[in-house]
Amino acid sequence: MTTLNFMVGQEQGNVPVTVLRVEGDIDAATHKSLHDKAAEIIEAGSTHILLDLGGVNYMGSAGFRAIHAISNMLNDGDTPGTMKSAHLKLLSPTDAVARVIKTLGFDVYLDIYQDRGEAINSF
Amino acid sequence: MDNSLRSTETRIETLRKCEFLQGLKGSVLSDLAAKAETLSVDRGKKIITRGEDGSNMYFIISGSARVHHGEVILANIGTGDVFGEMAVLDSEKRSASVTAESNTLLLVIERDMFYESLSTDPNAFKAVIHGVLQRGREIIREVKTRSTKLMAYEKEMEIGRQIQAGFLPNSLPALENWELASSFVAAREVAGDFYDVFKLNTLPHLAIVIGDVCDKGVGAALFMTLFRSLIRASSLYGNVCSSLVDAESGSASITAGEVLQNSLLTTNRYIATTHAGSSMFASVFFGLLDTDSGELHYVNAGHESPIIFRQNGETEVLDITGGVIGLFPAAQYAVEAVTLNKGDLIFAYTDGVNEAKNPQGEQFGESRIMETTDPQDTSPDKFLSMILDAIYEFRGVAEQSDDITMLALKSQSKTSTA
Repeated sequence: MTTLNFMVGQEQGNVPVTVLRVEGDIDAATHKSLHDKAAEIIEAGSTHILLDLGGVNYMGSAGFRAIHAISNMLNDGDTPGTMKSAHLKLLSPTDAVARVIKTLGFDVYLDIYQDRGEAINSF
Repeated sequence: MDNSLRSTETRIETLRKCEFLQGLKGSVLSDLAAKAETLSVDRGKKIITRGEDGSNMYFIISGSARVHHGEVILANIGTGDVFGEMAVLDSEKRSASVTAESNTLLLVIERDMFYESLSTDPNAFKAVIHGVLQRGREIIREVKTRSTKLMAYEKEMEIGRQIQAGFLPNSLPALENWELASSFVAAREVAGDFYDVFKLNTLPHLAIVIGDVCDKGVGAALFMTLFRSLIRASSLYGNVCSSLVDAESGSASITAGEVLQNSLLTTNRYIATTHAGSSMFASVFFGLLDTDSGELHYVNAGHESPIIFRQNGETEVLDITGGVIGLFPAAQYAVEAVTLNKGDLIFAYTDGVNEAKNPQGEQFGESRIMETTDPQDTSPDKFLSMILDAIYEFRGVAEQSDDITMLALKSQSKTSTA
């Protein structure tokens, strides 16, 4: 698959949360579209994004770079005294993606949830 | 649809734009235009498929299409362009696929109709041959331009390879009671693997570093030089002004764990802030070995877990103690320690080893590393060459898609008893 499909939903938890569901492989060919979609959402005013990876079967390093860039766009790249982003969280990574997240230690930097409701209320 | 697009005048005009028909007389073009049919194609629909037979040639009246081999785009074409003419002229299979990029209106001429029209004018065949040759010359020019670009790309790759090679150690330190070996096999496309082995100046420790910078190409090679240099510089000189180091004797009350922390925190913060916009990161395993006691302090920052092959046949993996470096300035890295006893071998590697693929797409995997060889009676050098042989055998005819970087260290000394 050379393109990503996106679904954007708005949820109200403790704060308004934009749920961005991605479907497709996030690789060197597609990472920019994820970056651009997130930029569009942030430009439109979103400050808290839950990235739903339930439809992503492969994520290469380009995908992780895009996620970092999204985290930076949300302007919490250097939140003092904290390791994890307060503005970007991940939802339901598939087994294959979860393995890479664990190998690279990305779970150290981003909260990962399996339950959508719990994730939305965690912001 | 605008009916004017389907008029004979429009058809003739469309045919006239086509380079290889330009030598035809008006009467032949009129005849062709009369015989041609129009075809509307929706965006995304494949018009011709590579490898199939085909007797139609297509002229784009309006819209756009891509000429492609699978995912590889050979050309983008639009109004006034022709495609499918090769298979019509030489009766071979379609040489490429063509898919509509937008809603497209085409003029379609069938092979027999085409030749029938040409036969109305004795000079028509000559004109078409001339036109086809002109087109052939254009293709040769295009191939020349592309090969020049390819050479520039290859040159850039070569520069990347030289940068990378220049930052790998020329030789490994000679050690008493320890055997050390390294292996680096570059992929065709430049990747960002690196390793480093050096003696600390403040402590009697040997530094062992192996890492993999994300992405490929010259960018990865440049960031590799940055990660590697910052780690080495901050380990060797990051504490020289510290009160922990005695100015006269050079001795230090700093611990191996502090050197590791200081080095990785410095490297991470520098890249995560100075180069925040690039989102470049590296997975790194960094160990400091006390060559007297065999104690190895280490940080594994998101890297493939090194494996210790114990002399008693057991294995132990050194899992991650933190995430990859270079992205998040507030990142912390835990230091762990393990002791290497006499006969133990530690094997550190990059994902070019475990992710090497065979033609069926299966990965070599950690389990095959474990099964490849019994390292007990094997030198590190021999161990690495056996792993490499196993990868080559597993991979078969499949291409090497990533750098293969490996380090092996084996204790020959009587260190602490396990």
